[in-house]
Amino acid sequence: MRWTQRAFQTIATWVAALVCALLFVVALVTADPLPGPGEAVDAAARMAILALVWISAARIVLQHWWSGSGSRLSAMDPPARLLTAAVAALPERRREWGMAMTAELAEVPDRSTRWRFAISAVRATLWLPPAGGWPLLTLVAAAVVASVVVAGPAVGAAVPGLAVFAVAFTGLVGAMALRAVVRPRRLRLPVLAPSVLVALGVAASIAVTVIFLRSEPTTVEYLPPADAVFLAAVLAACLGAAVTAQRWLGTNRRAAHLGAGAGAAFAACFLLEIRIDTTDLTDTVKGLFTLPLVPLAIVLFFLPAVVTTMIDRSFRSGVQAAVWTVIATVPLTYTVWLPEGLRRHAIDGTLLDGAAGPVGTNLADARWALAAILLVGLPLAVIVAGLAATTRPAAAPAR
Amino acid sequence: MTRLRRPSAQTVAVVLALADTPAAWRYGYQLCQQLDIKPGTMYPILMRLADQGLLETGWDDAVPAGRPPRHLYRLTGSGRALATELAAAQSAAQSAAQSAIQSAAAAPRRTDPKVRWQGA
Repeated sequence: MRWTQRAFQTIATWVAALVCALLFVVALVTADPLPGPGEAVDAAARMAILALVWISAARIVLQHWWSGSGSRLSAMDPPARLLTAAVAALPERRREWGMAMTAELAEVPDRSTRWRFAISAVRATLWLPPAGGWPLLTLVAAAVVASVVVAGPAVGAAVPGLAVFAVAFTGLVGAMALRAVVRPRRLRLPVLAPSVLVALGVAASIAVTVIFLRSEPTTVEYLPPADAVFLAAVLAACLGAAVTAQRWLGTNRRAAHLGAGAGAAFAACFLLEIRIDTTDLTDTVKGLFTLPLVPLAIVLFFLPAVVTTMIDRSFRSGVQAAVWTVIATVPLTYTVWLPEGLRRHAIDGTLLDGAAGPVGTNLADARWALAAILLVGLPLAVIVAGLAATTRPAAAPAR
Repeated sequence: MTRLRRPSAQTVAVVLALADTPAAWRYGYQLCQQLDIKPGTMYPILMRLADQGLLETGWDDAVPAGRPPRHLYRLTGSGRALATELAAAQSAAQSAAQSAIQSAAAAPRRTDPKVRWQGA
């Protein structure tokens, strides 16, 4: 198979389509009660739209990646590609070492020797000794296992229904800590304020979930184990992306600040809309205030991706801004949702969308909101960054 | 600078190979071929030696167009001192082994019981 841009795009299209189809089948099979034919068709249509959004985003990312390092990678033979991929995963302090091996591979002439060289070098990158040393790694691993074992019963005793979440979240954060010991990156906090904002948002999300479940103990049934694991995974991913200085997320201060700021503004718009909706004002006056808030929140969500792409003249920066927007919006919106859901239900027995329903539904609705921001908001922001990149001024012709 | 505590046989071979031509820059792959050491073993050794300040590294940009610059290695002053130590230790070990063989050859031979039985 020739690794052309078209081949990559075809694979990305199939992967996105298959994942969406799989999600749809799982959702359909596990639905209780099973949906009727009409509902199933509606769900299939929504899933098809979601698949289209992801396929479009993936193709745009591939197109930009191809114009950068992708075409270079495809020109390599399989041993070089294997070694390049392994070297890309090396921590920064060992990058030079990886580049040295890659450069030497270019000097190895015949195919079988190249394969032997590449496999041996990849094996060395995989068995890189942890920078903190094996004793530190053992210590951290023991601490992680102990925390996971203790977290379930301890949290379960204090907040019934949150044990699965506690185990999953502790395990995921522990895995990130282990990774930090095994493959430490250079400590850098060039985007301190956004990182702290996201970390506080995650902490607040956990706090409001605890408060919600303690205030309404009967709502435990609205946080089944699978949903608890989903919530833990989303919050841990936001925390991990914000505080571990991921290389792919870059050190673009503008992207981080704009993204985190947009997340905070989005959550503020959401809070304002709920608060206005529960005032004693007439419906007309409420509508006057709340009507602009929805488009404003949408604009705010996509603004960082557009602005960063255009100012930096870089699609990559736009994607970084989109990721920062999502990882800030997710925990902050969730943090607003649960307490406001409790407050609103105490006022008139309704949910945040105005419909009557049990208070526990807020837990499920808040998780749906997180899923929507991640699954729809993120690819749309990437598409928007891609569109903004097309408006870049053309480079001056080379003389 | 941290001195190697107990260098492995392969590390010793690498240091001594570099000490053969201490002023010359060497490539990793060249050392792999010379010493018949796999790159997955060679590069971690070079990395550790460089970390310990025993190796000086550089990039060779004089490569054909389209190829990446190659990494170069040579011993630092401390590396050369270590090489001298290792060479001395190695020759001392060799002469000790040689004298042990000679004294074993000079000592009266013990008759192999199996041979004695066969001769009986």
